[in-house]
Amino acid sequence: MITVNNLVGGYSNSPIINGINLEIHQGEFFALLGPNGSGKTTLFKLITGQLPIIKGDIFLSGKEISTLSKLEKAKKVAVLTQEAQVSFDFTVEEIVSLGRYPHQKGLFKQLSRVDWNVIEEVMEITNISQFRKIPFRMISGGEKQRVLLAKALAQEPEILLLDEPTNHLDVKHTFQMLDLLKERQQSMGLTIFSILHDLNVASQYADRIAMLHKGCFLEVGDVDNFRKTDLLKKVYEVDIKLGSHPTISKPQLLMTPGYHQAEPCTRFENSYQIHQTKEYIHIQFDHPLRTISNGVIGDGIQWLRHFCNFYVDKNYNCSAPDRDLRNWMTKYAIPYEQAVGMMTAVQLKDVVIRHEEFEGIQMLAVVTAGTGNAVDISSRTHSKVSQSVGTINTMLFIDSHFTDGALVNGFMSATEAKSKALLDMNIKDPHSNTIATGTSTDSLLVGLTQQGEKTPYAGSGTTVGKAIGQIVYEATKEAIQKYLQRVQTK
Amino acid sequence: MKESRLLRSLFIQKFLINKITWLYILSGGFVLSTALLGVFISSVHVPVPTILHIVLDNTFGWGWLNEVARNEEMIIWNIRLPRVLLAFFVGASLGLAGAAFQGLLRNPLADPYTIGVSSGASLGAVIVLFFQFTILGLGNFTLPIVAIVGGFISLLIVFGLVRLSSRSLAIETIILAGIIVSSFIGAVVSLIISLSDQDSMTQIIYWLYGSVGLRGWSHVQLILPFMLCGSFILFYHYRELNALALGEEAADHIGVDVKKGKFYILIGASLLTGAAVAVSGSIGFVGLVIPHLVRIVTGPNHRHVLPLSLMVGGAFLIVADLVSRSIIAPEELPIGVITALIGAPVFALLLIRERVGGERR
Repeated sequence: MITVNNLVGGYSNSPIINGINLEIHQGEFFALLGPNGSGKTTLFKLITGQLPIIKGDIFLSGKEISTLSKLEKAKKVAVLTQEAQVSFDFTVEEIVSLGRYPHQKGLFKQLSRVDWNVIEEVMEITNISQFRKIPFRMISGGEKQRVLLAKALAQEPEILLLDEPTNHLDVKHTFQMLDLLKERQQSMGLTIFSILHDLNVASQYADRIAMLHKGCFLEVGDVDNFRKTDLLKKVYEVDIKLGSHPTISKPQLLMTPGYHQAEPCTRFENSYQIHQTKEYIHIQFDHPLRTISNGVIGDGIQWLRHFCNFYVDKNYNCSAPDRDLRNWMTKYAIPYEQAVGMMTAVQLKDVVIRHEEFEGIQMLAVVTAGTGNAVDISSRTHSKVSQSVGTINTMLFIDSHFTDGALVNGFMSATEAKSKALLDMNIKDPHSNTIATGTSTDSLLVGLTQQGEKTPYAGSGTTVGKAIGQIVYEATKEAIQKYLQRVQTK
Repeated sequence: MKESRLLRSLFIQKFLINKITWLYILSGGFVLSTALLGVFISSVHVPVPTILHIVLDNTFGWGWLNEVARNEEMIIWNIRLPRVLLAFFVGASLGLAGAAFQGLLRNPLADPYTIGVSSGASLGAVIVLFFQFTILGLGNFTLPIVAIVGGFISLLIVFGLVRLSSRSLAIETIILAGIIVSSFIGAVVSLIISLSDQDSMTQIIYWLYGSVGLRGWSHVQLILPFMLCGSFILFYHYRELNALALGEEAADHIGVDVKKGKFYILIGASLLTGAAVAVSGSIGFVGLVIPHLVRIVTGPNHRHVLPLSLMVGGAFLIVADLVSRSIIAPEELPIGVITALIGAPVFALLLIRERVGGERR
């Protein structure tokens, strides 16, 4: 569709584009990225013919662009830019009808029936028919951009060039606009070549990307190139981390601000408060902790400040536990968006709270344990979920700095320590009559203050891993002892 | 749903076409009635049937009266009718040129005098009046011809300035070059006035005020080809004028040859302006107000703004001329004074009305 060979061009004397090769295929959504001043708009202007080509050539569907007349070019290529200034009070419909310019025939070229049909269709697609008689300047920015898109589509182009089409649109209008374009690309085979600023948006919509840096391409290829964060750091000079979208497999990027983040100056032992009642235990930290958990709410890896364990009756109807937890937290004025929520049928007065220091690392463990539902995970017998009191909820807080890998590692260490505690307490799976490895509904969270040196490992081969093992083992053992005592005294 | 929407839009289109058609009919009626009024009313009373007889007899040979006084025929055919026609042509040229300049320069304050063509034409005329010369073979045409040439020389200077300072005929540069040329020529005109004796000074000042009186058929014949030519060029480029409202870059993107379009529109509008100034002096306000007035009624689409500005501009100048010669008859007021006296308050009213209407929307 668009072929660019060894292109050099830009403003006279100093070329901004220095030797670019590019091939954009029919029906493709191609995104052009790069920092301001890297030459993106210049490349566009070379393609539209607004700036002179110094060296190299550009072909539009096989034809050298200098051989195309302006009208022929306008039938092939439509352009949508970010600015939307229209003098005089032209109505939306009149603006859209200007897109028919290259198709109009005759001496005093009027709009034909065909022209009107196209205008109607593109206004329908872009959902602007209702504004047709309203002056362009009276509608909102997002609507204006849709009108200009309709105008571009009215040209019935094969290629759509977009220069930051969503630049000053809000999230809603950005996604609306891009969905519309994507739909048009997929259903009509429209080729889209767009300058985009937002890397994450580009990752979600583009089929391929090119990264422009100082007038040259650093990278051309599919969006997985965004995984090369070192390259992005070089181009944008911002600390960019690779993240992941919870539902879409395209890479998503997270930018780290350059300014110095104030570190909490309170010591670990003073940075939390424990609030304990018959109904719940609530541990609240001054600062969010990097937390990994399998809690009913607040699961996965997140930054969280509130950690709650709620008492429920053993006959609790757990059809919507997450909703219940949110309701309870709201009742006690705990912001559930920043909280991990667990539940247990164990008496909360049997909670074990340990604050210890291992070789300079402060740790806090909060454990409630019941073993009524103890399970040996390796046994073949399948235990039914019984309605007895039996779950081990472990919360572990560490004053250290873990990578995400270390976080998972710590999670493993804590689990191993819990199993060891069950072994040493001789807790058995009632169905298989073998030593249990846990209960059927255990919850665990590991929260890190992320202070100090970053640690990549927290397994049993490391000091911190050992420390996790010891504190979780001791706390779990003590909690099980308390549970067993209570069961026996009943 | 889609069907009905389409139907409705077709209906709206039809309704709009009707509205526009009515506007054309109304404007046509306005032109015709003002023209008739212009011919009928004057300080010298001539009965209406006699006037009609003279006009029809001279144009189509359809006269029915046997005896018409010679002096009445002289007054109607050689003085009043060409005066009305000239007023129409000048007003039409200025209205159309104003609409084109406002569209081209994307500036509602632009008028036919913005880019200096009229100053050039004025200077040509002032030079003729100052030196009191006639070019051999031109006779009474000397002044308008020299004025037109002056207008074109100034247009060339403006183009030259624009070309030297920017490669792409940028709008801002055109306006600036126009202002530079106008103010320079204005200074030269003032210099000439200050150097001239009482007699020619009066003549020059009176000419500068503008008038369509006492010009005769020769001036009508002179302006007509320029007007036809300029109008054709502008009508042919109405879509380019519309597209330019998006800005030059966006116009280029939809396939408009912006540079060529701008060049032809400038030429067309300058032809109209130059010729109008040459035959009548610089009559203000028509080219500024009329296009605005038309736009308020029709919307900004140049397909209708251009022809309607032509018609309404012409009719407006006939009225202005009628007022200027009848208000303190048999004396005459300069027509430029009347256009400004009528035009400015009308313009102000329209502005206020549009503002109030715009806020209510």
